[in-house]
Amino acid sequence: MIHVLIRRRIDEAKWLLAACSIAMIWFCWLRVWLVSRLDTGRFKEILDLLPSDWQRYTPVDFAWLITYEGRISLAYDELVVVGCVSLWAIARGSDCVSGELGRGTLEMLLAQPLSRRAVMLSQTGVTVAGVAILSFCAWFGTWCGIHTMSAKQMIQPGFDLPIPLPFLGSRISIPFAEPETVYVPMVDLVDASLFIPASVNLCMFGLMLAGFSTLMSSWDRYRWRTIGIVVGIYMLQIVFKLFGMSADELVWLKYLSAFTAYEPESLVQIAHQLPEFTWSFTLRNTDGSWRGYGPMSFHAILASIGVISYLLALRIFSRRDLPAPL
Amino acid sequence: MFVETHSLTKRYDKFVALDACSLGVEEGEVFGLLGPNGAGKTTLLRLLLGYLQPTSGHATIGGRDCQMQSVAARQLVSYLPGEARLYRGMRGRDVLRFFSDVRQGGDFRQALRFAERLDLELARRVAFMSTGMRQKLAFAATMSTDSPLVILDEPTANLDPSVRATVSEMITEAKSGGRTVIFSSHVLSEVEEVCDRVAILRAGKCVHTQVLSELRRKHRLAASFVGDVPTVPDELRESLRVWRGVHGELIIEADELSSSLRWLATLPVTEIRAEPIGLRSVYDRFHANREATA
Repeated sequence: MIHVLIRRRIDEAKWLLAACSIAMIWFCWLRVWLVSRLDTGRFKEILDLLPSDWQRYTPVDFAWLITYEGRISLAYDELVVVGCVSLWAIARGSDCVSGELGRGTLEMLLAQPLSRRAVMLSQTGVTVAGVAILSFCAWFGTWCGIHTMSAKQMIQPGFDLPIPLPFLGSRISIPFAEPETVYVPMVDLVDASLFIPASVNLCMFGLMLAGFSTLMSSWDRYRWRTIGIVVGIYMLQIVFKLFGMSADELVWLKYLSAFTAYEPESLVQIAHQLPEFTWSFTLRNTDGSWRGYGPMSFHAILASIGVISYLLALRIFSRRDLPAPL
Repeated sequence: MFVETHSLTKRYDKFVALDACSLGVEEGEVFGLLGPNGAGKTTLLRLLLGYLQPTSGHATIGGRDCQMQSVAARQLVSYLPGEARLYRGMRGRDVLRFFSDVRQGGDFRQALRFAERLDLELARRVAFMSTGMRQKLAFAATMSTDSPLVILDEPTANLDPSVRATVSEMITEAKSGGRTVIFSSHVLSEVEEVCDRVAILRAGKCVHTQVLSELRRKHRLAASFVGDVPTVPDELRESLRVWRGVHGELIIEADELSSSLRWLATLPVTEIRAEPIGLRSVYDRFHANREATA
């Protein structure tokens, strides 16, 4: 009978999922379009204007950030992308118990021979599937952008004089004409598969948030209060991360924030520069010594928080009293 | 007994919602639960459905423990909450289909037939239905299953008199079909009409259980009488209760009418009025602070 319940959940959530999916695809495609419009050199000029202290607020080097991969990866940290996944995760997670309790629909539902576990799993299944779909949409939007856009590049026409530079072994090019604008297909410049780790990281982030929202919902009876608590803690986590990044003496605050494990740009950089570590738990130097945490560690931290939250939520929901609707 | 509760208790800190309630409901019986608001009727029903965890005691439905085997117990139950809330975005027909599909033994065609009897507009979305319409829709969904036990928590609270009659009719039909019904209501006449037995709850305690067929045999006699309250003969002492009414008349509650009338005929009675004892008088004994004096 759980399939009837799952069908019902899909019916409830389909419009939100559709809207968020469209926003994700559209925004990620738009990001590639914007990147393709702005020449790398000009973007570097913008970054050069920023104070060097700002480097601490980005998990990757400015030097890598000016690449096409770097600039496209920033999309995964943009408000629209993070916001859509957060909206979906909080909306669905908070609805799981306190939402249904508040509306009074849980009463009639649990009058049927359905276990509380089945009721929660049907919600969880749809929510987690939604998070996965949204993460895929983010990647798909990027893929569409890469396969449909061409990057504008300035080429300096010149003559290659066969004059070898002494000791350097290279040739010198002497410009005799104005720079030319050429359009190079983005697919020749960027590999879309580099962004898969960022999408997986986004998916795990959504799983964590959905799990935590469900946990808060499992003991509460008012959805508005559940959302309030989750959003409050969400903001607090952002503040912890920002403060942790802003000063060396506050770096410990970063480790109090689950958001520290959401680093899509870093993961794209690793996939770009150290492809052998794309799916590793640790990063190692060539001599085998420990260099840092690998992308899988980031995914695992977020996924663990999500799964543990779901298990706790199930335990609480299975044992709690269900008050009559007001 | 099909439904049994053994010293079932539910406490919220110092507040006792249900206090050591022990009841039994026979298979095929229509069992009424009576009591004012806060008496513990809904708490009892919610404990049976496993919505609440008992502080102590336990309950079974068809031999299945309501807490430990909640899903198995609910396979035997069809429940209508006091104020049924349904999915607001669904149309009436979809609601009936959903509840038919979500449980084994759900019968969509039967639900449609009930909906027709209750004059429901199934194309309308729940959000645009009146409270009464929603209650009727939930009632149709509840009654359309083949579960052996139906629990109805104030099913007629928001319904008009003609629909109430249909509901009573459908409950009687359920009983004829061999189903057990637990019925909670404030409307005494309705309970009297459909129930075989009632339990009266007061402040979380089950204070009285009444078989209604016994009640129908009992009568109340009001006699205008001059002089002191007479001594009841020994042979009638067990079956009679006598006291002075508020207007000075003699009130006699009799299990057996003919012997009481024979005794009254020997007394200087100026006026006499006989009426069957209704559920009201039993209910008032526990909820109207009336002191009975024998």
